[in-house]
Amino acid sequence: MRYLMISTGGDAPDEKLFTEMGKFIEELTAAGVLLATGGLEPSGIRMTSSGDEITVTDGPFAEAKEAAAGFALVEVRSKEEALELARRFRKIVGDGESVIQQVFGP
Amino acid sequence: MDARRTVDAVWKFESARIIAGLTRMVHDVGLAEELAQDALVAALEQWPSGGVPDNPGAWLMAVAKRRAIDHIRRSQRLDHTGEDPADARADERGNEPEREQDDVLRLMFLSCHPVLPTEARVALTLRLLGGLTAAEIARAFLVTKQTIARRIAEAKRTLAQRQVPFELPTGAELAERLASVLEVVYLVFNEGYSATAGDDLIRPELCQEALRLGRQLAELAPHEAEVHGLVALMEIQASRSAARTGPSGAPVQLHEQNRGLWDPLHIRRGFAAMLRARDAGGPPGPYVLQAAIAVCHAQARTAEDTDWQQIATLYGALVQLLPTPVVQLNRAVAVGRAQGPEAGLALVDALVADPTLRDYHLLPGVRGDLLTRLGRNAEARLEFQRAASLTRNAAENAFLHRRADEIAPGGGPGLTLGEAVRDFLGRADLDPGTIRSYGQTLRRLRLALGDGLPLASLTADHVERVLTTAWAGAAPRTWNRHRSAVRSFGAWAALPDLAAGVDRRADDRPPAPSIEPAQIEALWSSADVPLRERTLWILLHESGAPVHSVLSLNVEDLDLDDRRARASGSWVNWRSGTARLLPGLVAGRHRGPVFLADRRPGSARMPAAADLCPETGRRRLSYERAEYLFKQATRKLDPSGDGYTLRQLKPSADQ
Repeated sequence: MRYLMISTGGDAPDEKLFTEMGKFIEELTAAGVLLATGGLEPSGIRMTSSGDEITVTDGPFAEAKEAAAGFALVEVRSKEEALELARRFRKIVGDGESVIQQVFGP
Repeated sequence: MDARRTVDAVWKFESARIIAGLTRMVHDVGLAEELAQDALVAALEQWPSGGVPDNPGAWLMAVAKRRAIDHIRRSQRLDHTGEDPADARADERGNEPEREQDDVLRLMFLSCHPVLPTEARVALTLRLLGGLTAAEIARAFLVTKQTIARRIAEAKRTLAQRQVPFELPTGAELAERLASVLEVVYLVFNEGYSATAGDDLIRPELCQEALRLGRQLAELAPHEAEVHGLVALMEIQASRSAARTGPSGAPVQLHEQNRGLWDPLHIRRGFAAMLRARDAGGPPGPYVLQAAIAVCHAQARTAEDTDWQQIATLYGALVQLLPTPVVQLNRAVAVGRAQGPEAGLALVDALVADPTLRDYHLLPGVRGDLLTRLGRNAEARLEFQRAASLTRNAAENAFLHRRADEIAPGGGPGLTLGEAVRDFLGRADLDPGTIRSYGQTLRRLRLALGDGLPLASLTADHVERVLTTAWAGAAPRTWNRHRSAVRSFGAWAALPDLAAGVDRRADDRPPAPSIEPAQIEALWSSADVPLRERTLWILLHESGAPVHSVLSLNVEDLDLDDRRARASGSWVNWRSGTARLLPGLVAGRHRGPVFLADRRPGSARMPAAADLCPETGRRRLSYERAEYLFKQATRKLDPSGDGYTLRQLKPSADQ
């Protein structure tokens, strides 16, 4: 099953974090688990629809400590495996939040 | 969250690395797995209360290695020869991830070692590399947990007995060993992708497991083109999973699939793997070629855009390396698309005599398709009908019938092969055994030639081809039985020369030898044999009479005082062993079969009155059942492990 993990927050990235992160990603790729990953623009553009009306807004602009954001698409055997990967990820990046959602169908 | 399941998740990520590292230390994969399991147990005891450690993999590895060192110390105290455990530990200090990776690769080569039977390789690989439990593997392959556990245990024993080293093969051996690993991975994938059993056409968890193993292997052996080829092939095939089945679960052919449902992520990964295969260089192997074909399909936006010329060329190369009938058939399809139906048909027709394809419904399906395009409608129609009768899938059957019906019927009326066989077998003067035996032969003719074939056009050539394709390797008795079925059918249908191309074969096989006296003694002395079986066996042994005569005995035929009975026109005589048992078996019955089945027959399967006991309502014990029970009971006695046949109870002339 596939899970999408979107993460925000984390410590300001330094050399050590980059190295650890690189190692982590390499490990997941080698294990055949990580399908895709990438960084995300922190705030993004928001589009909402209500009736006939479509509203486009920039932001909301995140607080400084949520400046980093990223996603990972993983293929695992169970929810527990997805959570274990997320746990390891959070241990590396520090304070912040990850949302883990199962992906259905292609 | 359930700590147990967390431990399980961690275990699945880490077990391969841990077991691989331990195997290098203790040189025995079975022991290594036990030590790793000990670490897992420790985790299950400690993590729920103490929390999951920051680096759970390292934690498990540290515990497991401590156990391994303890073990080495202990065994050294027993014999003072082994290496110093301090060495083993020093060895651990230089713990580079690179060597860990090599260990995992060694473990893969070990669990896919050619000394193991394929099934054992699959089970052991999923167990050691995938971290799956025996129960999980059993569920995926729809067998019992005990079966898998036994396969794994036997595999470990074989590896230990044959002292298979924990090493990376080199030189010429590498290619062969790698092929074995790839075969195992692709087997797991195919079992998931085109499930050979069960209700679902696809079992995604097995596909994923195979993909994961393949991707792992690609990182471990990055210079092997075939590894990347296999990964590319699996990724692209996996990209079609959602499009491969329709809403009702029926399979959808590649050229009819909704390409919008193909998973672009898998395709992209497949293309990337293909590029890595190309970079690795070397002449393309079978997986790279199959992947290249898959890439051609994936690149076509619509079925019409498919580059059949390229695919036909690739199949031409593949058929050199992998000349299997299925590859040849696929090649014929591609050639039919690229160079026209005439060329395709020529290739297909060369495959018709191949026994492995005799029940393969795609063969007549492909032929029908090519014939339609050539305007040979009557033949095409027949081929689609035949294809429909060969498939077990209801949706496919309906699809093929539809294709047959779309073709305008040609030719005049007349009896068809299917109708003729039905009439022939429906005659009142055939006994059930003959109907079953003839039916088997004629069913094969119908499947191979099609029910719709006009009887008038059935020729000796047809018959010769079908019988040779189906039973060329059969025993002479079997062969002759089929031959007489055809002759009988031919005589009935006024086609007297139907079996002209089929020669009678001499039965040169000696009858199975009698059971050795020692085995007979052991059989008589086994305690748990039911009275009916014991009586039958001793009677067969003492009398030496044919089995069917003895089973046909009726109570009223028995002459207990003179120890004999009249059966099928001759006497069956017995001695004291039977005489002691018979009265107990007959026990108050006055008429009907001596040897009775265990249950009363259901109303739908009522036998002839002569085979029914008027007093108990049970039917006569059948030869098949009696034979089966004897085989089962003597399996342990028979040195070959197959069990004996009842016929072998007849003592040999010199006994």
